[in-house]
Amino acid sequence: MLAFVIRRVFQSVLVLLVVGLVAFSMFRFVGDPVDNMLGQERTQADIERLRSQLGLDQPFAVQYFKFLQGAAQGNFGVSYRQGRPVSDILMERAPATLELAAVSGFLAISIGIALGVFTAIRRNGFTANAIMSVSLIGVSLPTFLIGILLIYLFSVELGWLPSFGRGETVMIGGWSTGFLTESGLKALILPSITLGLYQMTLIMRLVRSEMLEVLRQDYIRFARARGLRERAVNFRHALKNTLVPVITVTGLQLGSIIAFAIITETVFQWPGVGLLFINAIQFVDIPVMAAYLMLISVMFVAINLIVDLLYFAIDPRLRVDRTAAH
Amino acid sequence: MLRPISLAAALMVSASALVAEEFRWAETTDPQTMDPHAVNSAAVLGFLNNVYEGLVRRGKDMTIEPALATAWEPIGAGEGWRFTLRQGVTFHDGSTFDAQDVLFSYQRASDEASDTRSWFAPVSEVKVVDDYTVDIMTTAPNPIFPDSIANWMMMDSGWAEANNAARPDKDNGNFATLNANGTGAFQLTTREPGLRTVLEPFGGWWDEAEHNITRAELTPIQNPATAVAALLSGDVDFINPVPIQDTARLAANDQVKVIQGIEARVIMLGFPHEAEALKYSGETTDANPFADARVRQAVAHAVNVPAVLQTIMRGNAEEVSQLVSPAMRGYSADLANRPAFDPEKARALLAEAGYPDGFSFGLKCPNDRYLNDESVCQAITGMLAQVGMRATLDAMPVQNYWPELRSDNYDMYLLGWSPGTFDAEHPVRFLASTPNEEKKLGSWNFGGFSNARVDELLPMIQSEIDDGKRQAMLDEVTKILQDEVAYVPLYVQPLVWGTQANIVLTQRPDNFFILRWVTVN
Repeated sequence: MLAFVIRRVFQSVLVLLVVGLVAFSMFRFVGDPVDNMLGQERTQADIERLRSQLGLDQPFAVQYFKFLQGAAQGNFGVSYRQGRPVSDILMERAPATLELAAVSGFLAISIGIALGVFTAIRRNGFTANAIMSVSLIGVSLPTFLIGILLIYLFSVELGWLPSFGRGETVMIGGWSTGFLTESGLKALILPSITLGLYQMTLIMRLVRSEMLEVLRQDYIRFARARGLRERAVNFRHALKNTLVPVITVTGLQLGSIIAFAIITETVFQWPGVGLLFINAIQFVDIPVMAAYLMLISVMFVAINLIVDLLYFAIDPRLRVDRTAAH
Repeated sequence: MLRPISLAAALMVSASALVAEEFRWAETTDPQTMDPHAVNSAAVLGFLNNVYEGLVRRGKDMTIEPALATAWEPIGAGEGWRFTLRQGVTFHDGSTFDAQDVLFSYQRASDEASDTRSWFAPVSEVKVVDDYTVDIMTTAPNPIFPDSIANWMMMDSGWAEANNAARPDKDNGNFATLNANGTGAFQLTTREPGLRTVLEPFGGWWDEAEHNITRAELTPIQNPATAVAALLSGDVDFINPVPIQDTARLAANDQVKVIQGIEARVIMLGFPHEAEALKYSGETTDANPFADARVRQAVAHAVNVPAVLQTIMRGNAEEVSQLVSPAMRGYSADLANRPAFDPEKARALLAEAGYPDGFSFGLKCPNDRYLNDESVCQAITGMLAQVGMRATLDAMPVQNYWPELRSDNYDMYLLGWSPGTFDAEHPVRFLASTPNEEKKLGSWNFGGFSNARVDELLPMIQSEIDDGKRQAMLDEVTKILQDEVAYVPLYVQPLVWGTQANIVLTQRPDNFFILRWVTVN
């Protein structure tokens, strides 16, 4: 177990280094930040002075090395656009994204599992089939379109919910939360549905097919034969055994929710790290882009690691296999 | 958990009762700093015009009017300008405005670290005569100097020094990046970069307030569809810009108003005057047809500008014949006709220049810099093909575009130019002068257009005090640029703002949103 963890951590660091290398080799194609940083009245000399001041005239390997040096000391540099330390900016923006991701993740998991179980048990019912058909929309419509549709329906036409932003936030020791105000909670509704809809339908479909699989197993039949109540059979025996693949997918999807919040955040002007990243691309704000990409890869690597470790906890067979194999 | 909710709810109830004239607005870009001397961009200067003030300011019709200076006059035969300062002006923190602050603001705004430095290139010295008189000496007579400093904003020397912000710091930021202390009609109360910026009226403002706003909040909204939805749902009172394709729909809605005008920005086509050969041509690899004025003339006749404006701009823009719009000072009114759309003539000119079958070339175009820029380029590509000039269009984001132009990777390009001084001299200096790094001339003249007479006239224009003589010289330059077809000016970019129906405001061609002219009914 310990050897396994150490090996995985080592691999993870390698993955991170490669991600950084690829990111830095790509930055050259994103464009040149100096035009945005200097005004209309800049001269060629100004351009060159700024380029060398920022180290942009050096090969990307050198730039990457300097970034790593700084990052190792917790210093991600200063944003070209805002002229403030990137770590401060990320800390300011992270709560918005994490709260949004948490709410959408919670919605996706709870509603997804509930609907999945329902559609599996009432396989031939009208409601179950209707849910299955509607869920196709969630899988196939692009996020930004869903977002715009929701805004037009609930903000413009009905006027129930705000069309953009986070509403009023309350600061609790450096963490800005939207959970404690009415406008903050209202503002969460549309973006979290938009962001979580794809994951919700995915989890629902996954739970349904796994559940159908399990319900055909012999032990379910025996459980029924033992005269257990339908509820106990479905939830204690069947659902529990469908959860292993669901946890893998959900874990990885949790990463995607945070990473792909970019689109939802842009549509709803949600002031999180995704929106920050989009701004950074438009402005060629290399320090912000680099820090964001590294953070997202750290997160993905960490989630993968946790998911692997959860297997050990959930599935006893894996533990036996591992010890037997080594 | 419960208490904060009810507390917040209680606060909100009382707040909504109080702030009847709360004004919320959305722009595409957030001003990147609150420092008026760090960055020379329209987003920053436009916003800070509400907080800081200069010696002079622009009125609703763009003319220069007194602000922190009550009067100004040339010194001697044009050695400089004497400004008489307004008395009794205080900064938002209560300190008094005087000549020392002008000197300090000059030093700060012309510092190495400041982007606004080039405004002070003609200045040799700033002298404090007494507490309320300042002499600004120039190296040569400079008739338009007062016009060129409307965005030079005054900062309190004591405040800046006390907060370690005596010089702008763009790279690491300082106190003035997030805080402001001006003399303007509004003071900055909250600044959360990229989230919101809140302004409240300054009680001690020297001028009569025209507005009735009690609190104003700016939120950047990047996505145009979100901004339109926010306006329609009443979440914001004002958006800038309204996407061209949504103007008709918004105009038909009773709840909102669309306010249209023309911006100071002229959109034009540029050419590689100096290149030996085309870079992106299939067959014309050893010659540069665009070096021939007849070919450039052919381009001017081949582009159907009215059709472009009618279709792509939905009738919201005006065609233009020169590098500045009619709203600018020094516009040549007698040269207002642009070459007529005449494909026959274009073909004849091409044949005369030795290209009866036309030629192929590469057109470079930004796709996120000007309104509908890529669509305009596509239309132009089609129109040029009609006369035999077969363009391959390469459209790209602006941060990739400028480096391409700087490395001469184009056969023809699209450029927009908005003169910072609102004077016709500005584009001559940047676009038409022979590039000269040392004299800081022609820094945006990518194609290297060069005309000895234009180069000779520019310094004379810059130092001519007599308006009539100056205009005659500007007219001569405009005539040369038209005859030589240095650029093909196409149209003046439209300005489209959207507001709630109960808002009254003034739109200025520089696209600055001036809060003190807003009334909420």
